[in-house]
Amino acid sequence: MTTIDKLNDIFRMVFDDDTIQIHSGMTANDVDGWDSLSHVNLITTIEATFNIRFTQKELLTQRNVGELIAGIDRKLTA
Amino acid sequence: MTFTSFSYFLFLPFVYLIFHLTVDRWRWLVLLVASYGFYATLKAPYLLAVLLVVTGISFTCGLRIAARQDEVIRKRWLWLGSIACVAVLALFKYLPFLATRSQSLLLSFNPSLIISIGVSYFTFQAISYMVDIYLDIEEPEYHPGHFALYMAFFPKLLQGPIERAGDLLPQLKQPYKFDHDTVRSGMLLFARGLFKKLIVADRLALYADQVYNNVHSYSGLSLVIGTYVYALQIYFDFAGYTDMARGTGRMFGINLTENFNSPYLAISIADFWRRWHISFSRWILDYIFKPLQMEWRDKGQVGTAAAMVITFLVSGLWHGASWGFVIWGLLHGVYLAASTYYRPYQKRLHKWLGVEKKPWLKWWQVFVTFNLVCLAWVFFRANTIDDALYVLSALFNGIPAVSAEVFSFKYFKEIIIVAVSCGLAALLCLLNRAKQNLSINSGILSYSSMLHFVSVTLIGVLFYIMTFCGVEAKSFIYFQF
Repeated sequence: MTTIDKLNDIFRMVFDDDTIQIHSGMTANDVDGWDSLSHVNLITTIEATFNIRFTQKELLTQRNVGELIAGIDRKLTA
Repeated sequence: MTFTSFSYFLFLPFVYLIFHLTVDRWRWLVLLVASYGFYATLKAPYLLAVLLVVTGISFTCGLRIAARQDEVIRKRWLWLGSIACVAVLALFKYLPFLATRSQSLLLSFNPSLIISIGVSYFTFQAISYMVDIYLDIEEPEYHPGHFALYMAFFPKLLQGPIERAGDLLPQLKQPYKFDHDTVRSGMLLFARGLFKKLIVADRLALYADQVYNNVHSYSGLSLVIGTYVYALQIYFDFAGYTDMARGTGRMFGINLTENFNSPYLAISIADFWRRWHISFSRWILDYIFKPLQMEWRDKGQVGTAAAMVITFLVSGLWHGASWGFVIWGLLHGVYLAASTYYRPYQKRLHKWLGVEKKPWLKWWQVFVTFNLVCLAWVFFRANTIDDALYVLSALFNGIPAVSAEVFSFKYFKEIIIVAVSCGLAALLCLLNRAKQNLSINSGILSYSSMLHFVSVTLIGVLFYIMTFCGVEAKSFIYFQF
């Protein structure tokens, strides 16, 4: 299972929507219910699933799903 | 000098003329000199010195952060610059407050002489610039003149909008191209702001001030109306200023951030903060709330709620050292913190009641949100906490106490001015729309000449108010912050 597939499952679970199909350019504006509260749930679920820990700076500079995936991959290969 | 003063009506065309006649290479210098000159007219030379100090700190720290690769050193420079800016802000914001409480320390010091107009805005802008460089969102500015102009650009210097480097700096460096329509729309936007301030806000202030400066003389509906009137006054005052700032900026080819988007039509407090003082709410969200929220992410909802409360507590303190502002900020923080808990249940409740698609639901939410906002305004506006508590306790004391003064001869002239002005403005809007739909010279009177006639009449009314109605005495509410 690739990072994007795993992440897609997380998105579907966090936002309770089985139709979500994530892509690199996707932002909070494209997902119904992606607000500051659900964003925290998303991040903590990602961190628990991939067993990684983002830094403050990484979290504050991620602008879209593509950057999130790149951040996860960077952590996994580090 | 403020946007509503006569001197500004001489200053602006003069600066524009020089700007227009200067070659692109030196236009930044014209605007910078004009901006410093504009700030100097406040007759508080130390303010100009503070602006220069904050500009120097943020420019230097920005370059240092960008020049280093080592994360620890970059962070150190960011902290150094940010703490220096916050210290400057705190000194000007809270020194008068502290001095009034420790006169023995500063016997010869008169705190009322200290003014800090603009300091809150440009220090926040300086901090955002350094943080954005630290986060690699923006490149540093290497030209000290361009950077100084980014900090001091006069339309947004006194009261914002708080501009991000990425939004404003590129515009200040681009070549200016004269465009008749842009200049005209800038002037119209300025006039719209002038209308909001002089005709609406300053007239509403007559009633709001009367009530809030003598709260114990009123009760019941008078206080409710006084609070609603103040809510409208502060909106028109600040939105009017922002229109004038944006209108001025547009004349020079600069688009400043829109600060308001019909805030009293918000359907929740979160929605209100997406529509009210947008440049400020973006700032506190990005630079206070998000870092705190992410730091406390393991605490779940409690972490988010705590981040909300602290963010808005800081927002209250930013407005000034008074318990009224602190409680105002806390109230908004509590509203938002509570919403993180009840929002999921609210959606389920609406669904269960079968009202989620009813058209009246939105208006009910607007009504509730507006009243929650007004409740917080009570603490923001009241002269003391005792006054605010009295207002809250007496709000529901019945209807008969409506002040007759609002309808008395004392305000008759003001009511006529507002009625005539609003009528002219409405006519202007109607004629504008009709002109867009019909050919220009159709009918007996051409729409263009009617437009000109109404516009000139409206300008005449504005001129009358500026000349005879003591406009200079009523400064913008947000100047004090």
